[in-house]
Amino acid sequence: MSKVVEVSPTTRHEGHSKLVLKVNDAGIIERGDWLSITPVRGIEKLCVGKTMHQAPKISSRVCGICPIAHTLAGIGAMEASVGCEIPQDAYLLRTILQCANRLHSHALHNILTLPDMYIPGTDTKINPFTPEEPVRTVAKRLQRLREVGQTVGEIAGGEAIHPSNPRVGGMYYNISPQAKQKIFDLAKEALPLAIAQMEFMIAVLKNWENRGTVTVGKTEVEIPAKFGYHDQGYMAVDPVFDSSSLDFEPKWDPDRWTDVSPYNWFQGEMEVSLEDADYPVGGTTKAGTKTWPQMQACTSVPLYDGQPVEVGPRARLVQFKNYDRKGAMGLQIARQLEYPDCLYTMMEALDALDCNGSVLADEIPQGDGSLGWNANEAPRGCDVHLARVKDGKVQEYTLLVPTTWNFPTCSRALEGAPWQLAEVIMRAYDPCVSCATHMLVVDESKKIVAQKLVQ
Amino acid sequence: MDYLGKYKSAVAARSTSAEVLRCSQDGGIVTSMFLYALEEGIIDGAIVAGQGEKPWQPKPIVATTPEEILSSRGTRYNVCPNMSVLKESVRKYGLDKVGIVGTPCQIQALRKAQLYPVGLRDVCDKIALAMGIFCMENFSYQSMTQIVQDHCNVDLHSLKKTDIGKGKYWAYTNRGAVSQIPLKLTHKYEQPGCHVCLDYVANLADISTGSVGSPDGWSTVFIRNNNGENIWNKAVAAGIFETKPIESVKPGLELVTKLATEKITKNQKELEHRATFGVNKGLRNPYI
Repeated sequence: MSKVVEVSPTTRHEGHSKLVLKVNDAGIIERGDWLSITPVRGIEKLCVGKTMHQAPKISSRVCGICPIAHTLAGIGAMEASVGCEIPQDAYLLRTILQCANRLHSHALHNILTLPDMYIPGTDTKINPFTPEEPVRTVAKRLQRLREVGQTVGEIAGGEAIHPSNPRVGGMYYNISPQAKQKIFDLAKEALPLAIAQMEFMIAVLKNWENRGTVTVGKTEVEIPAKFGYHDQGYMAVDPVFDSSSLDFEPKWDPDRWTDVSPYNWFQGEMEVSLEDADYPVGGTTKAGTKTWPQMQACTSVPLYDGQPVEVGPRARLVQFKNYDRKGAMGLQIARQLEYPDCLYTMMEALDALDCNGSVLADEIPQGDGSLGWNANEAPRGCDVHLARVKDGKVQEYTLLVPTTWNFPTCSRALEGAPWQLAEVIMRAYDPCVSCATHMLVVDESKKIVAQKLVQ
Repeated sequence: MDYLGKYKSAVAARSTSAEVLRCSQDGGIVTSMFLYALEEGIIDGAIVAGQGEKPWQPKPIVATTPEEILSSRGTRYNVCPNMSVLKESVRKYGLDKVGIVGTPCQIQALRKAQLYPVGLRDVCDKIALAMGIFCMENFSYQSMTQIVQDHCNVDLHSLKKTDIGKGKYWAYTNRGAVSQIPLKLTHKYEQPGCHVCLDYVANLADISTGSVGSPDGWSTVFIRNNNGENIWNKAVAAGIFETKPIESVKPGLELVTKLATEKITKNQKELEHRATFGVNKGLRNPYI
């Protein structure tokens, strides 16, 4: 007979979410729901009526780990709606900013991942905070990589967290030749570090996958052969940067996208019937607690061709480089493989950048209310913003954020894994729950689902 | 009250460079110091008051070449928001060692930014040299226009230099004419915000400098902290400045102290007055 176990809150990712898992007698997940329980801030609703310049600066505040994605996708959507082509050098600066952010974000996620992993060949889990070697060197390398990412972001984007330089029509400023050289020097310095880090992570991840069993709390659990596999598709628009409705060949299609409410997707009301006080740290939810994923989930469920899809590093590699490694570790390894490209692309963009070039379009139309979208390949996957701008004001603004896409996909990927390892699968998606939970969820009758909770 | 702030030493000095002195306000201390620091790699750029859009209107710029630093010589008696490019200097200009010049209030802003960096990430550790200039009060651009064009009867386009000294406001033209008006006439044009300022000689700078206390063409210089002393000594050893002991020049620190005392006492009174400005209520005091 199946039992229900709930891990709430989940840890070592951004935001506030929980796992509601239906498991069999052996503790293997039969059906899992991973859902956001982050309060809805309603960014899309409150941006309506604001100027097209302000809205992307607000949506940047959706998340402080990947604010670059929301700023650039938001601005890109406004530009697509009004039909504004930005100058080449502005595009290059944005590319540099994008790469800098991906570098820092992946490095940060390494710190969140490592405590699940073992030092290869030993039974010692990795504690990134330890002053002991060999972990200390890795921690220092990660911090330097993040420092480089954030410094480059500051120079090209004005600010590492919530970049101030991008604006509708291009950028506020170009950078000086001295600043350009500084970015180049930093990238040169970071490249061998990034490659070393990539190789280290891949070794650690493969070691974990081949271990057979791992310890969670006081329990020894077996890693299933198809750990974190799912049969959903992949969605990505670009290996590095973005695609928009202004492109000659747009890589994303709004007609293939539908949105359903969590009410139609997640499980109904249940009672927690299995608890484990030893689950690190602080145990799972007490038996007898009521849980109701379809009402408690704070995101909508976006579908592509009627199905949830995976977005993120693996989706990009599958789409553009024929990557074929499946499962949670396949996704993790794909993420590490993106390290060098962040820096190579940054250097290529720098080579092409003209520090004296104009970075602002000569003319910025005010918009006639037509739909424009921009899909930015955020560190966590495809971040699509859709907007209608008329007379400089936002009429409609929708954010389809990577982790929103991944929520239902990852829920499917949980099946077949021991429930103690559900968080390891979830972490492979590098979830950013604040990102995912920025919206008001409306059902088919356009009634706000959150209101159902109030009633 | 310590009217001149903390300092290690005080001297009268001037630049040894004729090129700097040709257009400098006094001894060319700030210009020469930045040129030297830039050359030596002590700074890799400096925030200075460059040329604005209108005549005699300054505009803050991040100078990374000697030409840009030289183009900012001379006092412009109206507001130049130097701190507005502080963050920009370490962003788009990518500077690691920023030199900065400012009036006492601007140096206060800088030090506050370093200690309480609200929205100023990665700025506080990149300040390499803060040069302060003495300041009694400042004017808005419109005030200066009024003083020069109406009171002194000089067109701004032919103005070569303005100076406040010996109780007068002086305007020199390119063609050699000199106008002067008593300072009393300029009081109503002062920025009201200057009336609560309790700092005359840029107490918080690494090195502060100004005209008062030294003869024309010379500057009074306070070397205030280890950083300032270190850089100053190197510059003097490199022959950038000629110096005289401040005790050997007239009118010397006595006059500086007198003016500092006057400024601080007067503005302290204004602050006290503001506390009881209304009936049973007062105006805000930023110092408490």
